[in-house]
Amino acid sequence: MEPNEVEARLRPVLGDRLLSVDPFVGTAGKVRFRPEGALDLFRAVRDQLGFLHLSMVAGVDWVDRREVVYVAWSDTVRQYLMLSADLPADAAHIESAVPVWPAANWHEREAFELLAIQFDHHPDLRHLLTPEGYEFHPLLRSFKLHEPEELEVKTRNV
Amino acid sequence: MTGAPATIAKPVVAPVVAPVVSSPSTELPMVSGPAVPFLEIETLRAREFIPAAKESLMALMTEQAQGKVIRPTFNWAGRNSLFPLHWGLACCAIEFAAAFGARWDAERFGVVPRSSPRQCDLLIVNGTVTWKVAHKLITLYEQMPEPKWVIAMGNCATGGGPFRTAYSVVPGVDKLVPVDLYIAGCPPRPEALLDGILKLEELIRERGE
Repeated sequence: MEPNEVEARLRPVLGDRLLSVDPFVGTAGKVRFRPEGALDLFRAVRDQLGFLHLSMVAGVDWVDRREVVYVAWSDTVRQYLMLSADLPADAAHIESAVPVWPAANWHEREAFELLAIQFDHHPDLRHLLTPEGYEFHPLLRSFKLHEPEELEVKTRNV
Repeated sequence: MTGAPATIAKPVVAPVVAPVVSSPSTELPMVSGPAVPFLEIETLRAREFIPAAKESLMALMTEQAQGKVIRPTFNWAGRNSLFPLHWGLACCAIEFAAAFGARWDAERFGVVPRSSPRQCDLLIVNGTVTWKVAHKLITLYEQMPEPKWVIAMGNCATGGGPFRTAYSVVPGVDKLVPVDLYIAGCPPRPEALLDGILKLEELIRERGE
């Protein structure tokens, strides 16, 4: 599957919420979309393009904005497809992919706690790797490595 | 097998009740003569024995006796049968498992890993403790019955190790529970763990006596 074919099949569904489909090494392409069209894009990618398996959810902190990247896998064409959306840094939120791919559950929890990306309508948006009440977002670039004495973590009132 | 209990049991049955119940406070003759049946002598001796035994038992239960008899006995039993919790956290747990395998065989020191914290008196923290698992460690420690001891095995449990400045790692398990013994190494070899257990036994003996 080529990037122009992906664009031709997604454009009627999404319209201008689809920004571009660029070639990306080793994948069927990198789809850039506006976060408003997230759920429609996920449904179209799963049902029309046949990318049934969500491989991972990644997040990038570009300081001025935050990027969330979904990587889907298709067993029929044996290719990955990357779906990328830019979120504003001050209010980073996007619709959750759990209704489409249940595998997104824990990946989105991880992106939520480490990068402070809010996933709307997520069924269970708790911390995954850090304790409840942990107030830092360690993978943001604004997070500095602490001396351990400065990192006060409440463990008892969980 | 069949003959012996029958011959002993026979005289016990019939005449026991009569002398004891009928004369609870009368003075019975001390000397065993032909007039006194065998079982009466036995009851007489028992009557004199019980108060004396009670008195000596009370003396045994004093604090001095506790210090000289009971506490050292429990200390000896406890330090020679340390039951660690079977709980592995990271790569130190591999060495922990090897120490209880056939080659090093820590069971010859009476150290048997148990799967329930309620059967344990030794918590070997073998690996990196994250903040996520911290309150579970505290819960396990609080479930163990007293007296209990903690060994911090390896550099991670001792002071955070190479992950000391990481955002998710407890910098030393002594931030959470009181630690009695630290074992250095990354990870420590099973010999080091056995040495630590033997040193802990000495420590328990010193503290108990």
